[in-house]
Amino acid sequence: MPKFTKPTWFAIGWLGLMLFFSLFGWLLPFKPWNFVFEDDLEVGLFSSGHLLGTDSNGYDLLSSAVAGTRMSIFIAIAAVGLGGFIGSVLGILAAYLRGKIDTVMVTIFNVGLSVPNLVLALALVSVLATNVDINQAVPTWRRVMVLIMSLTIVLIPILGRIARGATLSWSGREFVTAARSMGMKDSKIILKHIVPNVLPALIAVAFLAVGVVIIAEASLSILGVGIPDGASWGGMIARGRNDLEYAPHVLYVPIVFLALTVISTNHLGDVVRAKLDSREAKV
Amino acid sequence: MSKIGFWLQRIAQLLIVLLLVTFGVSLLLRLIPVDLATILLPVGTEEERDILRNELGFDKGPIGYYLQWLGNFVQGDFGKIYFSGGTEEVSDHLKNAMPRSLLLMVYTQVLALAIAIPLGVLSAYRAGRRADKIISNTLFALSSIPNFAIALLLVIFIGVKFAWLPTLGYAPISDGVWEHFKHMIMPVISLSLGLIATYTRLLRADMIAALREDYVTMAASKGLSDRRILWRHVFRPSSMTLLTSAALSMGGLIGGAIVIESIFATYGVGFEVFAAIAGRQYVALQSTVAVIALFYVFFNLVVDISSGFVDPRTRDRRVNA
Repeated sequence: MPKFTKPTWFAIGWLGLMLFFSLFGWLLPFKPWNFVFEDDLEVGLFSSGHLLGTDSNGYDLLSSAVAGTRMSIFIAIAAVGLGGFIGSVLGILAAYLRGKIDTVMVTIFNVGLSVPNLVLALALVSVLATNVDINQAVPTWRRVMVLIMSLTIVLIPILGRIARGATLSWSGREFVTAARSMGMKDSKIILKHIVPNVLPALIAVAFLAVGVVIIAEASLSILGVGIPDGASWGGMIARGRNDLEYAPHVLYVPIVFLALTVISTNHLGDVVRAKLDSREAKV
Repeated sequence: MSKIGFWLQRIAQLLIVLLLVTFGVSLLLRLIPVDLATILLPVGTEEERDILRNELGFDKGPIGYYLQWLGNFVQGDFGKIYFSGGTEEVSDHLKNAMPRSLLLMVYTQVLALAIAIPLGVLSAYRAGRRADKIISNTLFALSSIPNFAIALLLVIFIGVKFAWLPTLGYAPISDGVWEHFKHMIMPVISLSLGLIATYTRLLRADMIAALREDYVTMAASKGLSDRRILWRHVFRPSSMTLLTSAALSMGGLIGGAIVIESIFATYGVGFEVFAAIAGRQYVALQSTVAVIALFYVFFNLVVDISSGFVDPRTRDRRVNA
């Protein structure tokens, strides 16, 4: 059993709970949209029957948050998985092959990085989610797909640049030169020598990226181009904003879920990076 | 390579990036599966749309359209915003939004640096002690809270519960300095908390590394005070990463503060992006994104130039590189 500090255990526990919610939340004994009767409309935190209260429409906040977990976590993991994979492949190849391919890649990364993340994501979402009939609403599943695609595109240059940097520092090492002089194929050198060394750094960044994506998804939802109808944490915040003066607790619930999740992913990213540094230091 | 050659190459690189960004956005708009002229003039006649298509170059193919847009853009014609009563110039919108965004950015940076520099120096000086741990952990937690969450909490408590500050709108300095700042305090705090954490962390790490240098031991053995060593011998060489990061985040704050600008109705450049998207004003979107990228690239160049002034060692290194 590895030795972790208390905050690390908390982070692992919280993310475990979030994963549980997103996988099995629908099995828990409340419906995602738990409509209650008039006398229960807008009750505060810790009311009987509604642990985290309800919003002004009577939606149970705990069940909304649990249902929102699935959407937020799913989008984050999908976008970071896809963006991380594509970005790493591009970044590693660029740094390993050098030359023209590297120049082209770096230029593409710089182009992507020269627009603020959220502006880029917003532009992509708005263009990709346009219906042929502009008066028709875009179905939720398509919005989810568009969000994942847009956030993936936003992540590729960020993660790609990090993968490139990490690869550059490893591809000049003696064991790579040795492998090459022994006649090892480039593809094998990358898989056997580069990837295992670059991977820990990428995993550390991936944790941070999950947090970034969760925040980006929430931001887009607040702006009204993300997930509608309070079906994600950002959507809940967007809806709660309307009742901000009378029922601020409607905002506290998704904010606390969001903040604890991001704190946890950031902390775990730090832990992985610290492990990495100490390993490097020993060498 | 000569110095001038280096700068020419650097500027050429940035120009290429700018051209590619604007071309990318231009292509992206052509991907929209709907006729752009119909979106811009939903109630117009077909002849009016034909005139618009010709005017904007929608009928020319992607490259022709891009070149026409670029030609207008460099001449300061950023296109128009179309609505049912007529049109408005995008440049007028940006003229209105740009000062707000720039001021928001400057205040955010000043506040973030004013808090982060002392905190960073203190936590590096007391590295591993209690003060350092408290600072580092508090900032870590704060930086993980998204800025819109901080903004909403500020609105709930300071804006609504205690009603100390207005929650919406913007007042120019001409309305009175206090009135101006009253509207800026909450957006600036929401934007700067994350930056404070980042800056403190960067400065702390660099200063801890610098404190291990031989010249610090030397200075200490000469009997210089801790304060003098910290600020004169350690802070200055350590501020490089901090300044780079600060300059790069300036580009991001112009246009990147969309959510904060829309929560507080500051209506800066970020909000213009959002408004262009919400109103399907794709020409305005293209020009606004181009302006944002322009700022980003500009601040990148500023980083390159200023790094030579702060740390003279990098000047030679760059020239030799």
